[in-house]
Amino acid sequence: MITFFRQAFILAAKDTRIFWRDRFGLALAFLFPLLFAFAFSHALKDGGAPDATPRLTVVAQEKHGVLREISAGLAASGWAVDERTRQEALDAVENGKIEGFLLFPEGFGTSVATGGEARIHVVVSGNHPGAAAVLQGAARAIGSRVETLALAARAVGALEPARPPDAEAMLEALRLPPLTSLEMTRTGQRRHNPANFTLPGYLTMFVFFAAALGAGAIVRERQNRTLERLMSTGVRASSILVGKFLSGASRGVAQLTVLWTVGVLGLSMDLGASPGAVVVVSLLFVLVSAAFGVMLAAMVDNLRGAATIGVFTSLTLAPLGGCWWPLFIAPEWLQVMARLTPHGWANDAFNRLMLFGASASDVAPAMLALVMFAFVFGAIALLRFRFSPPI
Amino acid sequence: METYLEAEGLTKYFDGVAAVEDVSFVIRRKEIFGLLGPNGAGKTTTIRMLSTVLAPDVGDVCVGGHSVIREGDEVRKRIGICPQELALYPELSAVDNLVFFGRMAGLSGREARARARTVLASVGLESRGNEVVKKYSGGMQRRVNIGIALMNRPELLFLDEPTVGIDPQSRNHIFETVLSLRAEGTTVLYTTHYMEEADRLCDRIGVMDRGRIVAVDTPTELKRQVGDPDQTTLEEVFLHLTGRSLRD
Repeated sequence: MITFFRQAFILAAKDTRIFWRDRFGLALAFLFPLLFAFAFSHALKDGGAPDATPRLTVVAQEKHGVLREISAGLAASGWAVDERTRQEALDAVENGKIEGFLLFPEGFGTSVATGGEARIHVVVSGNHPGAAAVLQGAARAIGSRVETLALAARAVGALEPARPPDAEAMLEALRLPPLTSLEMTRTGQRRHNPANFTLPGYLTMFVFFAAALGAGAIVRERQNRTLERLMSTGVRASSILVGKFLSGASRGVAQLTVLWTVGVLGLSMDLGASPGAVVVVSLLFVLVSAAFGVMLAAMVDNLRGAATIGVFTSLTLAPLGGCWWPLFIAPEWLQVMARLTPHGWANDAFNRLMLFGASASDVAPAMLALVMFAFVFGAIALLRFRFSPPI
Repeated sequence: METYLEAEGLTKYFDGVAAVEDVSFVIRRKEIFGLLGPNGAGKTTTIRMLSTVLAPDVGDVCVGGHSVIREGDEVRKRIGICPQELALYPELSAVDNLVFFGRMAGLSGREARARARTVLASVGLESRGNEVVKKYSGGMQRRVNIGIALMNRPELLFLDEPTVGIDPQSRNHIFETVLSLRAEGTTVLYTTHYMEEADRLCDRIGVMDRGRIVAVDTPTELKRQVGDPDQTTLEEVFLHLTGRSLRD
């Protein structure tokens, strides 16, 4: 086992050394994402009007403790909550007085408090697509907080079926933090920092891009029989695979370190309420990318194939996965498509954490999805990897 | 002389086609054994089976008393391979390449660096060992390629066309290196398309064609099969044994 890891680490160290001597590789890994992030953050900096306190119109079709908590949470987070009936809100949208509203349907609070499924409806004027992003973001942030309560309610319901579905009692009994800790990204006095969305987007794009292009180096080693030569000296196939994975991962970690540092210090990025979760999501995305690089090397026969597929997948998955624009402003079908990409899960988690103040538990599904992607890519690499060129 | 390598009935199929079929021969300790054959004769496939890289479909090879099938790790400790491709890292220096392969073969960092200095001297690159390999001439790169195969002090060295595309000086240096290795006790399997090279270096030669061994003997005895050994070239023997038709 010691020999296994020793060989893997020596191989990864050698690859890392080669990487630091590759000017194009360095530019792709560090310079390009920073240039893009700086350029687009600057371009988007002055967008939007500096409004006063943001207003959020809410329609609650039942009176329930959960809804009172949500309303109080929004108010405490700096939103001016405007409660109306459904008809009043629809008329206001129709007349152009408001751009949209959140509707909590009848049974919402009861469903949450009993651990059932609950939906928040976002109603938006067709003339104000931008409002959809704001309202969807708000709905997601509320949903994230409410999910915790619903989960707890299910657990309590299983243990104590007789307990009445009362939100305040539930929060009290479970000692859960009140929903007033809800944090929202506000427009108005404090302007939104576009780097909070641009840099994570370009980070995911270029971490993946560098890993995908790294597949070419592995293919070249196979073609010139360097891998075969290593195996003839007694190096285990598994050591080579793990070494290649580690070299891709260490490159990705170097990218993360540089990009996040520059983002925070140079672009005044805000990592949100859970910076640790941002780091975990970033590291998981690095693992996915490294596994993809080895998988790609396993799937192609030659350098041209590696380069073509590497560029194609990187440039296709980036926009699909929300690297170029926030997913929450994208149409529904694109948001569904994004779930098929690791970029989509990572960017959704970054947006939740850095734009909507979500906590680590809110992005746990995204973390799990990234682990699954890494596992699937790694398994395919393990099954398909060849150490010799095709005959 | 004591037998060091014994191949027995080696056969390998690719997509149902026999690339190597029923190949048997022995290599004696401390001899330079030449393996000649036209393109596609099966030389490289045979070397890959002898060196544990490729498992034979039929047959076995015994290297230094160890089966490549059952005792691959023991065989790998005893062999060094120099493939015909430049199986090295052009972005690294010669020293870094040698140290890397040495460490992967089990040497400690200190041992690998010390061994790298010795190997660089033996391939005539001691003064330029710290330059990146991609700046080397073709001949120098070939010498590094051989040097890597020497890092683990192999008892049996496989040299697969080590002199392709290099100048006469580098070729001559490689010959001298190979001869000195034999003098130090290393057994060498050498493949080449240059007949005069085989004639000059090899103690015995095996000729392969269409996946089979068609002759094994000393250069002189092979020549005698065609005519007067003093008047016959190895190339004439080769063409006599393998025919004059062009190969893919």
